[in-house]
Amino acid sequence: MQPPSDLLAHSSMFTPAPQNSLPAAGKKKVIYDQDHRGPLSTDTSATLMLLQADNIDLLGICTVTCDMWAKQETAYALRLLELMGRPEVPVFMGAQEPLLNTKAEAQMRYQMFGSRTLGNEGYLGSFAKDAGGRDDLSPLPPPYNRFAQIKAQPETAADFIVRTIRANPGEVTMYCGGPMTNLALAVMLAPDIVPITKEVIFMGGGIHHSTSSVNVYFDAEAAKIGFRAGLAAGAGWPKFTLVTTDLAEEVHMQDDGKVDVIVDRAHFPIADLFREYEQKPQRANPLRQSFRMPDEMMAAHVIDPSIFGGFDEMYVDIVTHNDGHYGDTSFWDANWKDKGGELAGQNGPSAKAGRVQVLKNIDKNRFRELFTDLMTRPIHRSKQ
Amino acid sequence: MTTTRREFIKTVGAAIASTKINPEPPANASISPMQQPNPAPAQTSGKRKVIYDQDTAGPFGTDILATLMMLQADNIDLLGITLVTGDAWMKQEMAFTLRLLEMMGRTEIPVYPGAEFPMLNTKEEWQLRQQLYGGHRMDPWMGAFNRAGGGPDEIKPLPPPYDRFAIINAQQDHAARFIAKTVRENPGEVTIYAGGPLTNLALAIALAPDIVPLVPEVVIMGTGFHVFTNTFNIFFDPESARKVLRAAWPKFTIVSVDIAEEVHESDEISPGRAMVDEIAARSQDPISDLFQMYAVEPMRRDPGARLFRMADEMIAAQIIDPGIFTKSETMYVDICTTPGPRYGDSMFWKQNWQDAPDAGVLVNAADRRVFVNPSQFYLGPPPSAGLANLLLELDHDRFKKLFVDLMTKPIRKA
Repeated sequence: MQPPSDLLAHSSMFTPAPQNSLPAAGKKKVIYDQDHRGPLSTDTSATLMLLQADNIDLLGICTVTCDMWAKQETAYALRLLELMGRPEVPVFMGAQEPLLNTKAEAQMRYQMFGSRTLGNEGYLGSFAKDAGGRDDLSPLPPPYNRFAQIKAQPETAADFIVRTIRANPGEVTMYCGGPMTNLALAVMLAPDIVPITKEVIFMGGGIHHSTSSVNVYFDAEAAKIGFRAGLAAGAGWPKFTLVTTDLAEEVHMQDDGKVDVIVDRAHFPIADLFREYEQKPQRANPLRQSFRMPDEMMAAHVIDPSIFGGFDEMYVDIVTHNDGHYGDTSFWDANWKDKGGELAGQNGPSAKAGRVQVLKNIDKNRFRELFTDLMTRPIHRSKQ
Repeated sequence: MTTTRREFIKTVGAAIASTKINPEPPANASISPMQQPNPAPAQTSGKRKVIYDQDTAGPFGTDILATLMMLQADNIDLLGITLVTGDAWMKQEMAFTLRLLEMMGRTEIPVYPGAEFPMLNTKEEWQLRQQLYGGHRMDPWMGAFNRAGGGPDEIKPLPPPYDRFAIINAQQDHAARFIAKTVRENPGEVTIYAGGPLTNLALAIALAPDIVPLVPEVVIMGTGFHVFTNTFNIFFDPESARKVLRAAWPKFTIVSVDIAEEVHESDEISPGRAMVDEIAARSQDPISDLFQMYAVEPMRRDPGARLFRMADEMIAAQIIDPGIFTKSETMYVDICTTPGPRYGDSMFWKQNWQDAPDAGVLVNAADRRVFVNPSQFYLGPPPSAGLANLLLELDHDRFKKLFVDLMTKPIRKA
């Protein structure tokens, strides 16, 4: 699969990624699938965390349209790898469109039913009114300054996911920080990867703060496929971990002064990114509400799962009706039969709901320490 | 015992078949311009390159007969067969397809395994929807999801004349990858025949959106608006159908259930009810055996039997000899994917709906799409609906003649 794009390597320039070529004993193999919004966002911070963590073997970065169009995200991801001196990490440009959702319909639903009423949950990402087209490529601001010289791989993200999980059965953690479009395509192509994936971690949905979030309602069908994967064949994901908006809202980027610490102590380009895109905007507008840290929480779970004090076993399913509830998440307690005693009603899940572990009880101090430490430690460049 | 399509047709098919289908005459010629189907795209070799995507339920039926037509047609270069769960589970279809190719002596044609499950639809939810909203009165066929349909990994032995499993094997590559790769290697040359649910094609264009403008024609079977609007190939996987129908193909041709219902293997259109006897008598094996066992014998036991409509055979006819279809219309089409009683329904709108005297228009006013003339009717499609070339009329005699000719000519060799 080689979608023509000026971001992709031409076959003559393409050298196969040195996947698994480095001895990575004891390291956790991770495929990092992300709607990689630049210049700095929860997506970028999580990327930096995984690049900086010693115990992570980053097999590849996949992009997917949501926060931005995949092409622009890919440009940011490639250049960030150059700035971080990690050009050996292969980047795969993934789905440029959701499976079915379209900008026209997202905008029409908005007119008919209004936005989701809570805070950031009206966000439409690249389907927002003024978000530009899928082939637009804006110049990268400082410290990126220019487009990368390294190129994305010619393979699609879905093919890469299938190939890599099959080559490393039981060993690969799938980090899904954007819509699950790439993962859905992968499991449709190859249902056999589901039981041999070590763990999927996804950010999206919620119970109290909001009944959904953009990673789900941007591509509700993909989320439904992702959560339910394998069940029709009789074996679901061995482990599917979820960061909900409820959990993510507990920590924001500007809490605890960590931005100032990072700007003071971090190295290029991390210090520059946080100075330019967190510290300066916050000083210019002290009332600014900085974003929650959902993707950083996923990264924290991958790097050091003990930061979370536990999880709730739950069932989850997705509404795909093309109306105001498109992409809503529904949750049920896994032990609904044991709850409520004689007053328990018929509180069970839908016929094909997926089973997930909903993270809870984050240790905020340790999370802050881990994040600050990863951002400020020396950058180990493999090149330059 | 599994209810087959043929048995279903015996019971309720006759009632459906007796419905006379008259394509709606155009109320105003300027609103609905009729288009003559284009001839097949010119090929350097003189043959039309085709990828054949099918839910090949054996041992006999519309899927198998269309496969035989494509194998027998001299002007077709069959690049590969891709399979998708629909009428049967993909692995069972694979067993029938490989063995059929062996029996036809065409083992050079590669066969690719495709999607084993629809994008989202599941057997359990389908049954629950039927109980909640009511069953499908006109087309209760559930294919692989039939109550007695077995599981995705269950491969039953093949009945005569197949007798045993094939020695040849399927390809390793996935159907969707084969489709994307082949279209890219032959830009503008590969016609896609899609006779089952559109899962493989949806996957192919999700992985490789660049192939859409490179395909000269896609021909599918499904949708309808007179006989019924909810047809198996669509409602088995409505999300895939929506994705495929909305893509900007240069030409997307639909054999609807309306036109498919016009011709049955066993009706009185020339050569009449004796057609299957004639084919069984004049054709070579294995075609002769197949017709003898699965058409001649059943009709001998039950002279009133109605064999199935010739749905997929019409896709094959549109690719082999498009002149058989004498009228078509380009219309907007979309599929309902809301998992309610109309899950998988097809909807059509006139291409130039704005020319109708009472049609409203949508205009962009201050960034909001506003429906003007609210006292009048809005007749247009929803955003993102696709455009399709809907076949409306065919030359019945010529279609059946093509079919009989292909079945009775000497078995074509590789």
